[in-house]
Amino acid sequence: MSESRIEKLKYGLLKAIDVSGFRVLDPVVRLFFGEEPKKQAADVFKYLITPIAFVVLCLAAWTVIAPRHKTRSGEVPTPREVWAAFVVNDTLNDREDEKEADFQLSGEARMAAIARVREQLRVKEAESIQRKAELAVIKDRSEAEIQAALAPLQQAYDELKAKNTTEQDVRSSTIRQLAAAVAARIGSTDQLLTAIRDDNTKTEAEREAEKQIKDALSDVRSVPPKALKAAQLASNAVANEVQHLNKRLDYLESGNRDQKVVAAEQKTAVARQTLDTATTPAAVLAAAKSVVRGEETAARTAEQSYPRTATIWFQVRRSLFTVFVGFTMAAAIAIPVGILCGLNKVVMACLTPIISIFKPVSPVVWLLIFQIVVGAFFPDPESHPLFQFFGSLPLIGGLGVNPALIFSACTVAVCAVWPALVNTALGVSSIDRDHMNVARVLRLGLWTRLFRIIIPSSLPLVFAGLRISLGVGWMVLIAAEALSSSDGLGKFVWDEYQNGSSHSFANIIFACFVVGIIGFILDRIMILMQRSVSFDDGAAVV
Amino acid sequence: MTKVEIRHRLCQVEGYEHRRDICVLMDFDLGAIVPVSFIPLGLRLSAAFHASSTLLLISGCSSPEIPPASTGSAETVVAPAAPDATASISESPGGDVPSTPTPATADRDTADELPPLELEKDELKFGFIKLTDCAPIVVAREKGFFEDEGLQVEVIAQPNWKQLLDNVITGELDGAHMLSGQPIAATIGFGTKAHIITAYTLDLNGNGITVSNAIWDQMVINDSTLDTPTPKHPIPATSLKPIVAEKLSAGEKLQMGMVFPVSTHNYEIRYWLAAAGIHPGMYTSEDIRGFTEAQVELSVTPPPQMPATLESGNISGYCVGEPWNQQAVAKGIGVPVTTNYDIWKNNPEKVFGVTKAWADENPNTHIAVVKALIRAGRWLDETDDDGNLVNRDEACRLLSQPNYVGADFDIIRNSMTGYFYFQKSDKREMPDFNVFFKYHCSYPWYSDGIWFLTQMRRWGQITEARPAEWYHETAKKVYQPEIYLNAAKRLLADGLIDEADVPWSTDGYKPATSDFIDGIEYDAHEPIRYLNSHAIGNKDPEDS
Repeated sequence: MSESRIEKLKYGLLKAIDVSGFRVLDPVVRLFFGEEPKKQAADVFKYLITPIAFVVLCLAAWTVIAPRHKTRSGEVPTPREVWAAFVVNDTLNDREDEKEADFQLSGEARMAAIARVREQLRVKEAESIQRKAELAVIKDRSEAEIQAALAPLQQAYDELKAKNTTEQDVRSSTIRQLAAAVAARIGSTDQLLTAIRDDNTKTEAEREAEKQIKDALSDVRSVPPKALKAAQLASNAVANEVQHLNKRLDYLESGNRDQKVVAAEQKTAVARQTLDTATTPAAVLAAAKSVVRGEETAARTAEQSYPRTATIWFQVRRSLFTVFVGFTMAAAIAIPVGILCGLNKVVMACLTPIISIFKPVSPVVWLLIFQIVVGAFFPDPESHPLFQFFGSLPLIGGLGVNPALIFSACTVAVCAVWPALVNTALGVSSIDRDHMNVARVLRLGLWTRLFRIIIPSSLPLVFAGLRISLGVGWMVLIAAEALSSSDGLGKFVWDEYQNGSSHSFANIIFACFVVGIIGFILDRIMILMQRSVSFDDGAAVV
Repeated sequence: MTKVEIRHRLCQVEGYEHRRDICVLMDFDLGAIVPVSFIPLGLRLSAAFHASSTLLLISGCSSPEIPPASTGSAETVVAPAAPDATASISESPGGDVPSTPTPATADRDTADELPPLELEKDELKFGFIKLTDCAPIVVAREKGFFEDEGLQVEVIAQPNWKQLLDNVITGELDGAHMLSGQPIAATIGFGTKAHIITAYTLDLNGNGITVSNAIWDQMVINDSTLDTPTPKHPIPATSLKPIVAEKLSAGEKLQMGMVFPVSTHNYEIRYWLAAAGIHPGMYTSEDIRGFTEAQVELSVTPPPQMPATLESGNISGYCVGEPWNQQAVAKGIGVPVTTNYDIWKNNPEKVFGVTKAWADENPNTHIAVVKALIRAGRWLDETDDDGNLVNRDEACRLLSQPNYVGADFDIIRNSMTGYFYFQKSDKREMPDFNVFFKYHCSYPWYSDGIWFLTQMRRWGQITEARPAEWYHETAKKVYQPEIYLNAAKRLLADGLIDEADVPWSTDGYKPATSDFIDGIEYDAHEPIRYLNSHAIGNKDPEDS
């Protein structure tokens, strides 16, 4: 390779890194091409290795600190558990894929799959039985341990309780005697009152002591031994696997689409025979009808699709689509209105109060408003042409576009519109006066002016606004989905919170990373777009 | 199909040209002219019979001979349901006669002549709330009972009862796991108004009342008999009363949670409190939160959030379905003091609800769904020879999937397999804690509906006094046993259920019972008398 081509490659790479906003990689590239190795190595250390080390340090700190914070829902998950949550969710997705494939298999492939699944099932069932046996043993052992730990505490509690009860009885009989004495005008009232006060304080203290032992007792009961927990998890994992394999068998055998079609066709054939032999008009009619019905059933069954359960990756796809719809709506409103505002001070003055009032409104409020408003447009969502149109599209069809998606998208749009609008207005109004004067001198028409001068020179700011909008939109969307239970990452988080199982906490943190990483990627895409329309070489804000 | 078309086609069929009476009947709007109850029974019977034979005929598969109008067995079964039959025909607006399976088909002798179901819709969406009593729906989906009926069903978790109901009303969902009170309240217009019906009761019992550890400690101090690892049950709210009084004198009201204003839980916790003389508050036309005169304030929290709300201290106790009571024990944040089995033995809990409009549009699909649910209920309650529930473990495994209830398998299993943890130290056998099929429980009993109506009146959700007939009529509007019986008959014909599984010839009223925590007798035939037998709550003049 010639010198110049290497140079070209190097600067090409550097430019790409610069435009995409990954400036930290700049020294790596330069180092690779041998430019000032010492300086670049220092930069690599400072800006790349140090941050990575810092992240690793954070993970380590997380690993150490998390288990120390005990919540009612279990310990705070460590990075390892969050990773396990990722694996589990991915497995759930794979299982759906498998079942879907099984549902659609036919012929030889189906038979082969049946044999394979049966074999797996045999292995797993044996394992499951073994695990269950192990679990039972561990359970008994840990139960015995707990009982052993409880016994002395319980004894102490019983003793204390007995002692306290006797003392309380003694005290109350004393009080009764005193009261009798007072009634007989021989005792002092003060003495009685003191005795009662004294009794109350003592009873309180005794109860406190009892409570302490009781708390200790319940602490012993509420901390299941680690070994038991691990055995339970292992046993459950295998049992779930067995259940999945059984379900797969279902989908390969009786639940298989091909098999169902065959069954329907057989029924039709029988009905046809009945039709041929029927003599009375009513019987003919009946048989003919069942033939037609059988044919219809077969045709319909052949088109059936596997009813998928929403998995994490489906939720991600749906959230991305929703945010895309909402963002598009926001941009479609913000850019033209922003340009108008920038061009005309009166328009700006008119819109300022509206913008200022609605900008700070919480997305939750918008969500509720749109939920009511949008619902009214679609009295019968399933047969509405808009949703039928979306349903027929290749990739989007499977996402289940419904009113919930529309109002989530509307919420995203109305929250994301403001930064884009304000920035566009700013971009347009801060166009160099000279450019506008030149346009005036050249007597350019409105459209020429708009497309040759105004839009190009305000684009960097427009994109800066859109970038903020997308960030806001993504953030709002998760909240909107959680609240409205519209499928998407927000619903995933909310469902996990509601499930309250021992995996839920880890799943929520896992979702937190998924949301963060996707948000990060979206942001990078917007930076890329912003940088590619900028004239100046201004640094991308990271 | 319009009435005219039906008549036209009817007259083309050989041997029926002369049956003008059927044709006339179809145009003669009986229900619009005289209240159904005034029509002589004989006429009602024959009307129902004619209507059914008409429809059987139209669906093309009935035998050409019409059996005589009043055979003994047909009469007994048809009688209670007959008014609905006439109503459903006379009400049909604009001519579209719903080809509903009519009550007359409840005649078991014609079982093998039932026309096969032509599904109007085969891809359905059902909603549910994350509670173990959604089990029949989940089981029907996962065990392939829906698929056996040719239905592809999606089962979708809903965030709360209100949204679930709204989604059913807007058509986003085809049907849902509902609180028994929901179809009734929606039909009479308390809350969102919509005519919702039910043809299947999902389960009995299954709820518990949990109080926070602090309240439990005080209850133990108030009643020293509770101070053992296994206190005697049922625990009444009497030991809670001093706590409530103390709070009141400090100017506070004890806060407790329930899941929905018309939920079983709301009525149960109110019943439990009121049985011990604690006033749980009345609903009035202005006070829709139900706080009027309240000594304990009950607020709405969605079931899955109950433990978290209790833990955060916003409420001191709650009444909720499983697994959220067992969850409180497992997390050590509260103590279940009583279950609704102790408040009312074998009380109805959840139903499968659809809108009337949906049921009219998809009568056959509805039957197919109920068929699958009956099989699922039966599967859930299947026992071996020793009376052990055999399928519950598998059901728990299904429910613990994250897209269904999603709680830990072991927690769900606690109550579902016939045990209940009241405290970590107090595990009791409760074989009937979750009943899905036994005791003919999945049949939609009118008497269940009437109990909920009396409670709505008792606590002021129904703002004015109503006559006893109104209770019976409303229950009949919501509960649709004909659909259940039709589905059951088909299952019986296929050999999938036993004759004894279904109360074929009931009038829809369970016998009177006094299995309540306070021992007051409930006889659904006399709703007003029952209403007036409670110390706390609205009372109505008996003869109005």
